[in-house]
Amino acid sequence: MKTLWNRTFTWIDERVQLSDVMHFLEKKSVPVHSHSVWYYFGGVSLFLFIIQVVTGILLLLYYKGSEELAFESIQFIMAKVEFGWLIRSIHSWAANLFILSAFIHMFSVLFEKAYRKPRELTWLSGMILLFLGMGFGFSGYLLPWNEVSFFATKVGTDIAGVLPVVGEPLMVFLRGGEDVTGATLSRFFGFHVAVLPGIFTVVLGLHLLLVQRQGMSKPLSYERLPATDQKTMPFFPNFMLRDLLLWLLVLNLLAILAVFFPWELGVKADQFAPAPAGIKPEWYFMFMFQTLKYIPGELWFLEGEVVGILLFSLAGVVWMFIPFWDKKSSRGEENRFINYIGLFALIYIIILTTIGWLS
Amino acid sequence: MALVNNNALAIVLCSVLALPTAFGTAQAQDQCLTCHSTLEDNASTAFKGDIHFRNGLTCASCHGGDSHTDDMEKAMGTAAGFIGVPKGDRISVACAKCHSDAGVMVKKYNSAIPLDQMELVEGSVHGKLSTSGREHIAQCTSCHGAHGIVTKTNRSSPVHPLNLPATCTKCHSDATFMRTYNPSLPVDQLEKYKTSVHGKRNKNGDPKTAECASCHGSHEILSAKDPRSQVHPTKLPATCAKCHSDATYMKPYGIASDQFEQFARSVHGQALLEKKDLGAPACNDCHGNHGAAPPGVESVSKVCGTCHALNAELFSSSPHKKAFDSRKLPECETCHGNHEIVAAKDELLGVGEGAVCAWCHKENSNIKGYQIARTMRSLADSLIASEENAIMLVDEAEQKGMEVGEAKFKLREIRQARLETRTKVHSFDLDQFSEVATRGFGSAAKVSTEASQAIDQYYFRRWGLFIASLIITILAFALYISIRRIEKEQVQNR
Repeated sequence: MKTLWNRTFTWIDERVQLSDVMHFLEKKSVPVHSHSVWYYFGGVSLFLFIIQVVTGILLLLYYKGSEELAFESIQFIMAKVEFGWLIRSIHSWAANLFILSAFIHMFSVLFEKAYRKPRELTWLSGMILLFLGMGFGFSGYLLPWNEVSFFATKVGTDIAGVLPVVGEPLMVFLRGGEDVTGATLSRFFGFHVAVLPGIFTVVLGLHLLLVQRQGMSKPLSYERLPATDQKTMPFFPNFMLRDLLLWLLVLNLLAILAVFFPWELGVKADQFAPAPAGIKPEWYFMFMFQTLKYIPGELWFLEGEVVGILLFSLAGVVWMFIPFWDKKSSRGEENRFINYIGLFALIYIIILTTIGWLS
Repeated sequence: MALVNNNALAIVLCSVLALPTAFGTAQAQDQCLTCHSTLEDNASTAFKGDIHFRNGLTCASCHGGDSHTDDMEKAMGTAAGFIGVPKGDRISVACAKCHSDAGVMVKKYNSAIPLDQMELVEGSVHGKLSTSGREHIAQCTSCHGAHGIVTKTNRSSPVHPLNLPATCTKCHSDATFMRTYNPSLPVDQLEKYKTSVHGKRNKNGDPKTAECASCHGSHEILSAKDPRSQVHPTKLPATCAKCHSDATYMKPYGIASDQFEQFARSVHGQALLEKKDLGAPACNDCHGNHGAAPPGVESVSKVCGTCHALNAELFSSSPHKKAFDSRKLPECETCHGNHEIVAAKDELLGVGEGAVCAWCHKENSNIKGYQIARTMRSLADSLIASEENAIMLVDEAEQKGMEVGEAKFKLREIRQARLETRTKVHSFDLDQFSEVATRGFGSAAKVSTEASQAIDQYYFRRWGLFIASLIITILAFALYISIRRIEKEQVQNR
């Protein structure tokens, strides 16, 4: 058996110099410190993304992206296709866990100042991946074409429509017309299975390349330790096996969620029916949605909703470019201001999301 | 069509437009009447029998002018306020001048005549604008006439119960006239009325029987489609009940007076009166409206069949049709009753307690019908049990979070078959009944199988999860042991 493995490895190595990669992995090490646990969330996010790709492809075998058939095709997947219920529930749960894991990953990077020079582009690409992930969630939410997803999309695209200058054309572009119709569904389906995955794959490749090229970031407190006290572990096999262990646990969690809390399908969307009470967006948009509800109708000389969206856009841009204006961290100095901002954002998101969910 | 004669109209208004100063002794000095009487014209002749004349009103009360002078130019001059023959709405305005005035009607004449007649007419279907657009469709004189007005209890009054059908149909039987207002409104009401029990009695001089105003009202008449109308389907039973539920009133006719109570308890009454379901029948749907009469024994199924078409058709082609007719049994009514028709439940079928079949079909006589009834009931009960079982399984699967949308949809097929068996009962043919029941059993079996599979799938998923979770946990544990071993070796190698 071992001989066969060696022969196979040698066969590949002679052609693509696999030993170079092995050598790189053997040399690569991961810092060990009290915050090492946060390193794993990047890997968990990657694992969940892989699950999304695999389950998404399986769903594509049966899903029909049209107004007349979308709901029925999901119904068919849930009731008739062998393990279709499991694939669909895992796809839905993994999507949500992916966003959660990506959020945790982002905040851990922020609090560790792991974005500081030379990892500005890694942060930037990570942020783009998070936005793309939310785009996946927004576009995928409509695909079952049920009542809740239909009206949530209507509300969501309405909000985009109030933006000055670009709002109206953006809304029409997203909807494929003035209203949410079958054209919107076709469009969102296209975004979800072609446009977003294409962009995501490129940005993810860049993100992973940067991570491998630059190695794991070391916290400032760790860097200040004498070289002899800077503990490390080999990336391969130690870190990779730990990653694998966590992935198995996540897989187990996904299976439990999918079986005990199967993702509901609801009632088919009816464009002419009144909106049901309690329409809510996906939880990761909730804090923004809830904030817009609290903003008065008119603020200064502008529409309250417009002010809210502009403020969120501005906050998003400032957040995205943190590595470029936080010079202190790049110089290796402590910047508590960033911690305060991060803490405020985290508490704000948790509180508003909870209020929105309970209301 | 001319609603009123202009000359007559001009004179009659004096009976209504009574100026307070013209009352009393003024009549003795009514020079208008003195001169016109010498001419022996219709107006002055009729006015002498008019209730207004008898109460002291003069021609000037309605026509204006000065009735004290015999100088025609002064009497009929504009300075004296002479208005001549009122036209259009000025007619009703002249009447209302006194009839809407409590000071005149109540204080002066101590009259009990309602003061809101003008108001009611204006809100009624007759108060709409005429085709010319210059006046209301009907004026007071259209019904009450002019100059010879008497109380409605007076046999000669055009609004006396025995004369009213003819008065209303002056317009309502005129197809040319009615077409200009409501082309879809029938113009044969009088002809139908003549065939009704009400119409026949009315013709024979019974003023107590219903005529037009008894049901439609008088001044407040509204379209039957108007929910405020007392002949709107939801109000019609109460309107009929005004007379038909009055035991004293109905006593001379020897008919029951509990129909309304029975109807209100019936499936039809509950649908119409409580749920406001206009698809449910009111009195007129079975008895006719203008031609109201009880349906004949042999025509009951035709009457019921206007809505229950399939049941009626099956009954008419069944052996029961002949048997019922020969025994003079009213068709549907024999089993279902008439006014108090309750929801047709399966309990009516069969030979047990509450079953109507057993009234005629006994175990030891008329045995074939007895056996068929018993088998039909047995099949119906089995179908209900199958449906309940299917519903229970679908509910259980749904409560377990399983996708059973298709099975839920198929439940309708069982219900449809069950309802169809109730219709097929009226064929009294076991083969026809069994065919539908079998279809229902087939659907119930399919649904039950699907729902059971979904429930099995639920448990399969839990067991599957348990096994998968166990494998993953073992793998994770093995991996953890491997990591520990590798790291131990690494420490030892250092």
